[in-house]
Amino acid sequence: MKLPLSWLKDYVEWNVTPEQLVEKLMWRGFEVASVETQMQEISGVVVGRIASLRRHENSDHLLVCAVDVGKGEPVQIVTGAPNVFEGALVPAALDGAKLAGGMSIKPTVMRGVQSLGMLCSGQELGLTEADYPGAGIHGILILEGERTPGQDIRQALGMDDVVFNIELTPNRADCQSVVGMCREAAAALGQTFREPAIKRVKGAGSAADYARVSVLNSELCPRYCARVVTDLNIAPSPAWMQKRLRAVGMRPINNIVDITNYVLVEYGHPMHAFDLACVKDGHIVVRNAHENEVVTTLDGKERPVSPETLLIADPEKGVGIAGVMGGLNSEITENTKATLFESAVFKGSNIRATTRSLRHTTDAAARFMKGVEPVNAMLALERAVELVDQLGAGKVVGDTIDVCAADTSERVVEADAAHINRILNTKIPAKDMADMLGSINIEAKAEGDTLVIRVPHYRVDIESGVEADWDIAEEVARIYGYYNIAPKLMEGSTFSGRVGEAFRDEDKLKDALAAQGLYEMYNYNFTGPAALEALRIPEGDEKRLAVKLLNPFGEDQSLMRTTLLPGMLDALARNLSRKTGHAAFFEIGNCHFDNNPDLPEERKLLGILLAGEGEDFFTLKGLIEEVCSRFYMEIEVAPGGGEYFQPGRKGVIHAGGEAVGELGALHPAVRKAWEIDCPAYYAELNVGKLLSHKGATPAYKALPKFPKVARDIAIVVDESVTAKEARDVIEKARLKVVLDDISLFDVYRGQGIPAGKKSMAWSFTLRAEDHTLADEEIQTAVATLVRALQARLKAELRG
Amino acid sequence: MYDKLNEIREETLRRLNEAGDEKELEALGVSVLGRSGALTEILRGMGKLEKDERAKFGQTANLVKKELEDAISLRREKIAAAMQEKRFALEALDVTEPGVRKRPMGRLHPMTQTYRTIRDALVGMGFTTFDGPEVEYDEYNFTKLNLPKDHPARDMQDTFYVSERVVLRTHTSPCEARALLALEPPFRLVIPGRVFRVDEADASHSPVFMQMEGLVIDRNISLADLKGTIDAFVHAVFGEEVKTRFRPSYFPFTEPSAEVDISCTMCGGCGCRVCKGTGWLEIMGCGITNPHELENCGLDPREWSAFAFGLGVDRVASLRYGITHNRLQYENDARFLGQF
Repeated sequence: MKLPLSWLKDYVEWNVTPEQLVEKLMWRGFEVASVETQMQEISGVVVGRIASLRRHENSDHLLVCAVDVGKGEPVQIVTGAPNVFEGALVPAALDGAKLAGGMSIKPTVMRGVQSLGMLCSGQELGLTEADYPGAGIHGILILEGERTPGQDIRQALGMDDVVFNIELTPNRADCQSVVGMCREAAAALGQTFREPAIKRVKGAGSAADYARVSVLNSELCPRYCARVVTDLNIAPSPAWMQKRLRAVGMRPINNIVDITNYVLVEYGHPMHAFDLACVKDGHIVVRNAHENEVVTTLDGKERPVSPETLLIADPEKGVGIAGVMGGLNSEITENTKATLFESAVFKGSNIRATTRSLRHTTDAAARFMKGVEPVNAMLALERAVELVDQLGAGKVVGDTIDVCAADTSERVVEADAAHINRILNTKIPAKDMADMLGSINIEAKAEGDTLVIRVPHYRVDIESGVEADWDIAEEVARIYGYYNIAPKLMEGSTFSGRVGEAFRDEDKLKDALAAQGLYEMYNYNFTGPAALEALRIPEGDEKRLAVKLLNPFGEDQSLMRTTLLPGMLDALARNLSRKTGHAAFFEIGNCHFDNNPDLPEERKLLGILLAGEGEDFFTLKGLIEEVCSRFYMEIEVAPGGGEYFQPGRKGVIHAGGEAVGELGALHPAVRKAWEIDCPAYYAELNVGKLLSHKGATPAYKALPKFPKVARDIAIVVDESVTAKEARDVIEKARLKVVLDDISLFDVYRGQGIPAGKKSMAWSFTLRAEDHTLADEEIQTAVATLVRALQARLKAELRG
Repeated sequence: MYDKLNEIREETLRRLNEAGDEKELEALGVSVLGRSGALTEILRGMGKLEKDERAKFGQTANLVKKELEDAISLRREKIAAAMQEKRFALEALDVTEPGVRKRPMGRLHPMTQTYRTIRDALVGMGFTTFDGPEVEYDEYNFTKLNLPKDHPARDMQDTFYVSERVVLRTHTSPCEARALLALEPPFRLVIPGRVFRVDEADASHSPVFMQMEGLVIDRNISLADLKGTIDAFVHAVFGEEVKTRFRPSYFPFTEPSAEVDISCTMCGGCGCRVCKGTGWLEIMGCGITNPHELENCGLDPREWSAFAFGLGVDRVASLRYGITHNRLQYENDARFLGQF
């Protein structure tokens, strides 16, 4: 909220600097986001009266003005603006003046004629139309009314205030008002708050003769107060009121509208004024909208309303949407003779629903959503009527209409001072707490350790019952000063903190991946149907069961990812186009599957993406094997895998017999969709499933005491024979010696090998536990291996 | 003969210094001490002497032989040392040439590194890790935390909805409710995780970010305990010299509540661009757990008391590494990732 210093001074004795107030408010829980001095940049600009003017002898668009700036002799100023005239009051920037944007003014000669300053437009003074009428037009700002030449322009415009922009927390709706904020500011400054006294205007006659109010839904409208004013004298509001409204960013309109706005700012309660002549029989009916009803609001828009929406109506038609905006048909105009001032309480949740269905919100609606209270509704109404009377804006009619279902009685709550001291770890006597509460106008009495508190009507945030202890603790703490509560370390129970197993495993996994040279990515969790389509994911595939957002940023971010691939591909494409020189990445993140009626299944996945020179299917597979070895586990890969992989170059990864992921070369069509023009390899693993197969802590095996000998053999087999099949045969061969270090070191096709066949070269080592092998033993073992390969795979030994 | 012996000795010692390499030295040794060397010859001619004379001369000749042998071997060591020095000079490297990185290390994302630092600081203070789902019931994300439907404070966090009752969690706090319902107090938890808000990405906002929550429940937990814990934690993460400031604030799930500022890590509190001249950086929200939250989770707030705090890992990472734009953390440019 915006709090002008001039307004604050009405209620609080001002004896500090703005910076000191900002600091003191901060310690009370009010954050001042900024302090603005109006027209801060402007200096040396005064009111000038154009005494006379003539055409410039060397120009057909320049005017030479003699300007009275209150110094006896008029000064000569040349201007190019055509809207000046003799007798006009204008802003005159004199020698050394500073204007908006840091521009400074010096005497100059324009086409042979001396100009001792500059006449200013609103824009050159940093003003907009909202600040002063005419400030938005192209041309010199012409001041209204009577002004004394020579007066500082900021004072003349009433733009010399200091405005505090305060960010309020949602619990303090009462401070969304000058009165509420001044109450807190006074306490923060150690001052007495000069509570405004409203003089109730008795008025003549009876409101009942002009108007009556029926509330048909008191749940949505717990209180409706109204007063009638006749013989309206619609006119601009006085300068002091306009000045304050401008300071808080409101545009003055006329005295009646300005009064409602003024009271909104001062008391924080939204009001509305109806043209009573447009309300049939003067009968206000507060009811839910009918089916298919339409209300034309003040802004001229036709708005269809639903039966959930609360309307202000007369017996025939809607005259406003409750709490949001008045109707065009009952708007105050120059011809309005009598008005009904409405000050009501509408239920915030209903107003919220209304603004949602209208897709439109207003300042008034925002107040109702934050919460208003019934006692303040009446105060605001009486204040508005007082202003009507004070401004001579009309004749106030006697009696206040009040349809009230709300409880407006005073609440008394009890709080336990000992408990509050335990919450804060303080030793504040109950009596001192009562005094502290008194300083923010909360009347409290200490009876032993019990605080008996009369809760002011505006402090709806202070609850009754057990919770009062915490509410009062908060008040006591911020008045006592958070900085006065000495920090200490916790006592009592001791704990051994632990990083859980899943977290530790994830750390270890990430470390192993980084040790393999991969960079870790973090991508957003959002994706879209087009990305899933580009990944060639078939209809009905699990990855199509994406969780949909009801309010996404856009179609392309409307789904929660079911695979890490789209985000990683986006990032890879970005890296390739920027030539960042590194294309080996991993990401560990959650994916969601909309596959059950409760919460979607959340799966933590690991994605690995390699691209560029030196990378292929087997570097990716080897990397995964290496990482798995860190967890004492082995993987096996069988043909298979998703449609985003190239056929024949993809596989399903198994651990402990369970499928835990897949890997492969990305399909050219997928690469094309992401404009990736080099081969790229991707693996995705289910982290939870994978690590469920991690090996136990290994038991030490004694180191061999006798030397091993290395041998290798090359065999020619059918193309259909897989490396795994060959390895299985070698591993399972019944030998009398120990076989270790089996490795496929070459696969060869081509010259010397018949078509449809391939050569596999295997190396291995042989040893015995208890002696050094003799040549004979070695030869027997190799021969046994060869026989097994011949028998099982129809392999031939390559010559 | 004595003269001859002396002559050989002197001649040899002289030539010894002239021998430039191993080979010359070898030749000199052979010419003096070899089978037909000068000294050997003399010793051989000794037989012609009288017995007494022979013994005396023999003694002297052996002394000379020993002296020459020692001198040769000393010279050999010197030559070897000189040779080695020469070789070293030839093999000398320009050590400023770049190292050869055969297996370059990868990199963990700055957020991961920061998360671990924060987590480990808290684990050292007796906190244990806890986890919960990213797609969460409205009930846990809001209602249980004292944010019933239409509570004005729901506007503080713009929410992505999946359905009327399911949301993308807007904070890690729903895990508080899950923990309070599932675990027996007392306990201390640290809860990291991704959270989501309807915020367009800009320098300091992101629709997805990582949060870390701390929750302590015990008997007689006070605001002083909260302050002490956060002070200790801030010192562990940001350094002992960093100061904290607790400002009163409001969160629906805590009361009393506070915003925690730390003295600016860029300028040390003098005021700079990062802290907008204030000398302070807002780092987290915290407070004494609201009694409604404890009641909603089946605990008696008169018996149990708790505090909680939450901070953005992205933000801490940005401060730690001086990252100027939050978007960089999700762009995954290798030139960015490679810096940490």
